Formats: sequence, C-alpha cells, structure tokens
Amino acid sequence: MTNIIDPIAEIDESRVGDQDVVIGKSRIIFRRFMRNRTAVAGLFIFLALFLFSIFGGFLTSWDKDTLDPLNIGMPPSPDHLLGTTQAGIDLMALIVDGTRTSILIGLIVGGVSVLISAVYGCTMAFFGGKVDATMLFILEALIMMPAILVVAVATSGSGGLKDLPSWLLLIVVLLFFSWMGTARLVRSLSMSLMQRDYVKAAKYMGVPSRRIVWRHLVPNIGSLLVLDFTRGITGAILAEVAFSFIGIGIKLPDVSLGVLIGQATGQVSSFPWMFWVPLTVMFLLTGSLAMMNDGLRDAFDPSSSSIGRAKTKTAKAGK
Amino acid sequence: MSTNTSQTPAERLRDAGLYAPGEAVLSVRDLNVRFNSENGVVHAVRGVDFDLMPGKTLGIVGESGSGKSVTSMAIMGLLPETADITGSVRYKGKELLGLSDKAMCKHRGSDIAMVFQDPLSSLTPVYTVGTQIIEALTVHNPSMSKQAKEARAVDLLRMVGIPSPKDRLKAFPHEFSGGMRQRVMIAIAIANDPRVLIADEPTTALDVTIQAQVLEVLHTAQEETGAAVVMITHDLGVVAGMADDIMVMYAGKPVETGTVEDIYYNPRMPYTLGLLGAVPRVDTATKQSLVPIEGTPPNLALPVTGCSFAARCPMVSDACLHGEPELFPVPGTEGQTLGHKAACIKSDQLSGNADAHRIFHAPPKPVSKFDGVARVERAKVLELRDVKKHFPLLKGALIKRRIGTVKAVDGLSFDIREGECVSIVGESGCGKTTTLLEIMEFHPDQVGEVVIGGVSNKVATDHKTTMAMRKEMQMVFQDPTGALDPRFTVYEVLAEPLENLGMPKAAIKKRIMELMKLVGLQSDHVNRFPNQFSGGQRQRIGIARALAVNPKLVVLDEPVSALDVSVQAGVINLLDKLRAELGLSYLMVAHDLSVVRHISDRVAVMYLGKIVETGDVDHVFDNPRHPYTRALLSAIPVPDPHLERTRERIILQGDLPSPLDAPKGCNFATRCPVFAALPPAKQEKCLTLEPPLAPEKEGTQDFACFFPDGEIDADMLVVHA
Repeated sequence: MTNIIDPIAEIDESRVGDQDVVIGKSRIIFRRFMRNRTAVAGLFIFLALFLFSIFGGFLTSWDKDTLDPLNIGMPPSPDHLLGTTQAGIDLMALIVDGTRTSILIGLIVGGVSVLISAVYGCTMAFFGGKVDATMLFILEALIMMPAILVVAVATSGSGGLKDLPSWLLLIVVLLFFSWMGTARLVRSLSMSLMQRDYVKAAKYMGVPSRRIVWRHLVPNIGSLLVLDFTRGITGAILAEVAFSFIGIGIKLPDVSLGVLIGQATGQVSSFPWMFWVPLTVMFLLTGSLAMMNDGLRDAFDPSSSSIGRAKTKTAKAGK
Repeated sequence: MSTNTSQTPAERLRDAGLYAPGEAVLSVRDLNVRFNSENGVVHAVRGVDFDLMPGKTLGIVGESGSGKSVTSMAIMGLLPETADITGSVRYKGKELLGLSDKAMCKHRGSDIAMVFQDPLSSLTPVYTVGTQIIEALTVHNPSMSKQAKEARAVDLLRMVGIPSPKDRLKAFPHEFSGGMRQRVMIAIAIANDPRVLIADEPTTALDVTIQAQVLEVLHTAQEETGAAVVMITHDLGVVAGMADDIMVMYAGKPVETGTVEDIYYNPRMPYTLGLLGAVPRVDTATKQSLVPIEGTPPNLALPVTGCSFAARCPMVSDACLHGEPELFPVPGTEGQTLGHKAACIKSDQLSGNADAHRIFHAPPKPVSKFDGVARVERAKVLELRDVKKHFPLLKGALIKRRIGTVKAVDGLSFDIREGECVSIVGESGCGKTTTLLEIMEFHPDQVGEVVIGGVSNKVATDHKTTMAMRKEMQMVFQDPTGALDPRFTVYEVLAEPLENLGMPKAAIKKRIMELMKLVGLQSDHVNRFPNQFSGGQRQRIGIARALAVNPKLVVLDEPVSALDVSVQAGVINLLDKLRAELGLSYLMVAHDLSVVRHISDRVAVMYLGKIVETGDVDHVFDNPRHPYTRALLSAIPVPDPHLERTRERIILQGDLPSPLDAPKGCNFATRCPVFAALPPAKQEKCLTLEPPLAPEKEGTQDFACFFPDGEIDADMLVVHA
C-alpha cells in the first residue's frame, strides 16, 4: 500500500545534490508511462474513440432517427459504411451515439465515485470510533445490496422517475453502487498515513485535525485516486453493457453499446455486422482502458521494471 | 560450469595465472555493475578487486550507496536481470560471472553462503525453522538420509547457541526474536560448510546486546567451519575486532585497502581518516567536536572525472580533479603480499599521526551559558513524576479477557534542567519510545504528572494551555524522510508551525530565512521538496521545523540513527552548537551509546519500563554500577582493533523477556550476569525484593541493584585471544 502513497520517493533517494539531477515526480511518472508501449497505444485508442464519439457524426450523412427505406438490413456499403439495421437505421450513426453514451457513463461514474469514496473514506479514517463504525456498517450494507434488482426497478420507470433520460438514471444507480470498495481502501490508506511521522509532527505542533486531513492526507492518496479513476471508467462501461444487454439498463430511444449488442444477439447469423461492430468498439474501449491502467500502475509503482535495462545488447551477446 | 569458450587464449592464460592451489578462495577482479535509473545509467560498482584467503575475514566498509551491498549481490549472482555486470568473480579459480541462474544455484548455499541484514524477513513464516534448515541441506545433499539431516540441523542450532535445539526445530520463525532468527540464518548459511560466508550488515537491525551475541556466533561459526568471511558494514566498530583486512569503499570504488592495523592506525586516504574521526567513542570522554565530512557522494549517473572524494575533501588541490587516482601502494609498504593501498595522490602527506580534527576543520566544542551554572540552580524545563503506562493484554475472539498487563512504562520520575541534554538508553522494547509518546501526548487522564515549562498535564484541559506547552516543546523524528510531507516544499514545512501560531506572513518569511541559516542550509533552497535533499539535510530541515517556534525543550527520537556516519557527525555538531547558542534542553532517545556519551550531560538507562541507573554521563559510563549498564557498555564495539581484540565482553544470555513474565523482584534477574554467579541465599533477595533506585554515595549516579560489586558469571564473559 505504501508504494501507492509515495511511489517515487525511493527512486529520488539517488544522489540529489545539484539541481540538474532532480526530476519532478509528475515528469517521472509521465516518462515511465510513456515507456510502456502498450499503455501509450491504449491511450491513443481511447482518445481516438473519444473523438469518434463526438465528431463521428460527420462521417455519415444519416442520423439515428432517420430510416432509409431503400436500405433495410443491408450489409456495409458505400452508402452506409457500417450497414443498416433491419429497421433501416444507419449503424454508423447508432455506434457514434452509443459510444458517446458509454464513454459519458464511464467518465461520470468513474470520476464522481472516486470523489465520493475519497471523501467518505477520509471522513471514516479521520473521525474514527463510532462515526467510523456507523459509516462502515452503511458501507457494508450497500455492498450486500443486490445492485441488479435496484437497477431493474429504477429503470423500469415504476419509481416515478420517468422524466429522467434512461442514461442519467443509470448513472445515478451505478454511482450508488460503485464507490464502496475504493472508500474502504481510502479509509485504510488514510489510517496508515495518520501514523506517519509528518502527521505526528503536525499533531505535536498543535495543528488542528481538520487541517491535517486536508493538507497532509488528501494530497498523499492522489495517485491511488488516479488509478481508481481509470479502473472505475472500465467498470462503469462494462456494467452499462451488461445491464443494457439483459434489457434493464439504457432504454430506447437512447442507444448505447450494450443496447446495440443486446439487440443483435438474436440475429448474429443473418445480420452479423450488427453484432460484431458494436462488440469490437466495446472491446476497443475497455481494452484500451485496461492497457492504460496497466501502464499507470507500473508508472506509480517504484518496484516495477519500467525503469528500463542497463544491460546492453552487446553485453548480452558476450555471455 | 565449463570454461568459457569465447575467451581468447591470452585471457585463458591470464586466468590460469590468477589461480593456484592454496591461494585465494574467492577472487574478484575489476567488477563493474551498472543499473538503469530515471537519471540515466548509474555506475554503482566501479572496478572492485580483492582476494579472499581461506579462513580470513575481509571487512568492506562504506556509506550507503557506496556499492558494498551491490558487490556482494553481484558475487552471489542475485542482482536483477536488468543490471549490467562485467569483470570476473572466481571461486577457487572458477568463473562465476555469466553462469546461468541454475548453474549458480550449485554454488549458492554450498560454496558461498550469505547472511542478510533483516532477519525478520529472511525466513519464510509458514515453515518451521527445522524445515528451512533441512531444505538448505536437501538442496545440496540429496542423498543424505532424513535422520542425518535432522541430526545435522540440531547440531547447527546448537552451534549458533539456540537453547534446547531439538524442540526448537519445530518452532516457527515468529516464535523467535530478531536475534534468534539471525542465528537461524547463520545456521542455514553454514549448513553446507561453505568456504565463503558473506554477511551483509548482519547486525544493523539488532540491539547492541543482541549484536554482541550475533557477532560472537559469527565468530564461532567461522572457527567451526574455517570459512572465509566477507563482512559488509557501515560500522567501523563492528569490523574492528573481527576483520583481518579492510576495504573502504566510496562511490562504488575501493579507496583504501589494507590490514585492520593499517586502516585504523595509519589511514592514508582523507575519507578513511574522516570516517574514523566522525565516530564518537563510547570508551572515552571526548571534549571536542566530531569530524564532519561536508557534502554528499558524487552522482554515479555522471562520469567521474577526478577523485570521487574531491568535492568533500579538505586537502583537495587542482591535481585531484584531473583523472581518478588508482589504488597504489602506500610508500614504505611495497613488497608485502597484501600491502596497504590508498587511492589518493596525497597519501604520503597523511603518514604518521595525521590529526583528522585539524585536517577537516572540526569546529571547537561550543560552550553554553548554562555550563558554568550548577545544575540545582537551573530551572526545570521538564519534570516527570511517577509516570506509568500500562497496556491491558487481552485474549479471546469474541469476549475479551484480560490475561495480564504490559507495563511499558512503570513509574518513571526524572527532570531536565535548562541547557542540558538527558538521554534515555536501553534495548528496543524497554519503553523509551513510550516514554516520549507519553510526554508528547500531554493529557490530564495520564497516570502520573508531566510538567513542561511549569505547566502540568493535570491542568491542561483547554486548548490554550496545551498550545502554550506545544510552544515550549518540539520534537525531531528518527526518520528524516518520513517526518517531512513529500508534497510540501521546505518553505511550507517550516511555515506550518508558525502559521499555526497565527504569525503574519512577512514575519514567517523572515523567520524561515533565519532558520535556514541557523541549521546550515542555503536559504535559496526553500522552494525545493524534501526528496531533493540528502538524508542529513532533511534531518536539518526537521530540526529547523522543531526550532521554528523557539521552544525551550527539544525531544530527539533517535535523531541520527538513520544517517550515514559521515553525515551523522555534522548533525551531532549542529545539535551541540544549537544547544549552546540557544540555551536549549534536549531529551534524547538513542540506542547508540557512543552518540549518547558524546552529546549528553545525563543519562538514564531503562530496562523493562524502569530506570535502572541514572546520573551524569561520565559517572555512568566510566563507572557503571548496575550489571545491565555494564553489559550494555561492554556490548558496544569500539573502532580500535587492539582494544577490541583484547577487552573482556559481557555477553548477555537470551533476549529482553516479554513484559508479561517479568520477575517479581528485580526485573533484570533472568538475564543478570551477577545474579547467575550469586549463591542461592543472595539470589533469593533479588527474586523477591525490588531494588530501589538510590545513589551509593553522595554525588554519583542512582542505580537499582543490591549487588553492584558482584562477580560476573564466567559463562557470560568472553575474551578473544
């Protein structure tokens, strides 16, 4: 755990008398990330998909609400680059829309749940005692709750939530269930940070506890939060796909990758492009995030091998 | 395994010439190790040569980062794949470098064995100690029968001094203390009668009394197996008594080699001279400052152009900056087989009795305004009255039962006067740190009274009183890295206590500049982060932070134990200077008795939560009365080979007993060397009555022992011939 808190300290232990040897921590992390080719590839794929979801509409003259009665259930053609559905809707337009929804859900759920867990976890660790016990109980109770039922009930519109678009509703529900694990991690990390000498030093100086948490605790769990953010995005996207696939997540007329995959499963043999295209996009999306996350973890972890080798090829050949 | 076929005939001839029967068992030639880092390729070891003769002990001495551990790892073939290793390592003439991991396994553990620094993590917790010793035997002796292996394991455990070895075979590592685990590690290392034993800082993680035990075991192990030992350490005292030859390493290169006598009595390299002067001595009352070696070792990611020590050397001249000096024989010693060599072009100027203090410009011993005032006339800055801290020991999963009490601090009373330094010493677990925490906690609910600057903890109910006390007393921590928030600049670190007092911004800035100057840091470094400083500089920042609010008392928790010897001296001198200039009082906790002797005025020796002896540092150290103090003092190795080889040592049996089964009478009776030699009638007194802490005659130290003049049990006395 301590590795995550202060990843570069050990590296910087090297001789640092003169200024030119000193490298900023963020620069080191960036360099280590860039050294991992897979991670960089992941970053590029993700950025490409992100741009595609925003500007992809310009690649086709159709939109997802317009039917093309001349091309119903047609495979990819110059007219419709990715083909059409059996209702005659351009698949490209649907994919652009679906990717956007999925990325939106991922970013919002990933980001906000990290915030919630940071605040919740720090509060638990800081107050301790009864507050900690109560909050921990609530947290455990939430972990036990069957998320799938709540999603089904909430998105079926029976809760008087009909006015909200289904993607927003799904975001709220996913948020509700996504922050507990990280919150527990943050709690234990903060607890161990509270034992650090610099926190003790501040205490013995008479610095108020609130200020200790804000100035010493929160900045020092930053790298954990960055890692958890990228992981949270993947989790949310996958959850959306899974829920929509079984028909309880995003509802038409909203489209998402999960909805598209779910709709196409029945006709894989007759309309294969309708199944394979959204599936590929989903894999690219989650795969690129996983590749990035791997690189980020290595960049933050001082014991990883992303430092490179000293052994040259000639030295190897000589043995 | 087979001879390297890619060698030229000339190389083969050279290699053949290197080895002849009866010569070095391990010979290292031109060993170079490079690692990659964020700052480029670091040349960690730059050309190490040595020959290890059978049965001899070679001490490799150096600071952290000098490449001594990397050298040993390279010999063992334990460095990561990513490291670039060149040169030659020969075991009995056979090249080890370049062997595959599998081939190397045949040598590791049977021909060359290693004892690591941290005994707590070098044994697998899920296997019994017996299994782990037997594993080492099985790997290299597959044909050995089970009974034979078990018998050998029992023998080994007995050899390293583990009581009732047969039963202990089935014990798990967590049932052993740190010192016992290190003994087991030594047992595993010598299991297959290795010809070479590499000990990498084998006692650094241990208490002094345990260190003495383990060094003794290493000594026995070497005598029993006849192995050659490579002893890697930063402590010049540890090797003084053990080693035959010494190699001093600096910046990845040996800078001086020779016999122990050469190195300790006739150092010819300024670095060695400085190192020897930088270590305080426990056996003499020195009234002069330590030798500080300013600066930091060079950055090995950059090519070294001149002498690597030039930047810190007081004797540096232009010639030193051109070309790195090779190790060459010291004038007058040529022709000897293992001559005294130094890598310094001015080594002839250091001949005879060179004075390190003069060469390194050691500052004069500072004098405090309080030094002339009698102790009783000075005001008390801290007073403890019968402070106790007892922890309940609970057992049971669901319903907790109290099965006993751990008396971490048991009725402590002492005071600190203005301008003096009081040290608390003792083994880990004796309650030193708990005492500090009790003082820092400063809460009305504590048992006993803590009075700081006239404010008692009994009346400290509101925030204002507590704040007033916090202003009087500040703390310096052991680990300078952990004590500074890595995300704060030095300015922010120093500003925190001042902001807390509500000081205006302009005044804070002025004060911080003052502080930086006071602790000897450049004032334009305030915008740097802690990780941009060396360990010694970080500790200076920690001291500056403690001094920010102008306290009267500074609590020092092992202030120099995490620092290198050469840096340590600078920090100790600084603490000395600040005490004199600012009229500070110190309360210090330290395990290094030499440092304590150097810096303190008074000392309190603690054992199991109680003070067993306290008084003026010179009284206690020159004429210890309590057997525990005597044992502690005799356990400290002195950096003087002659003295170290001839002096008597008290080796305490066993470890600190668990506070749970502390004896009823005198706490120390279970390990006491005097108690062991007493007739049963007198032993009874020790076991039933608790000795009071009282002076023998007026004006000397207080101690708690009935038989201060008792004979020491012969079994616990060791003298090396």
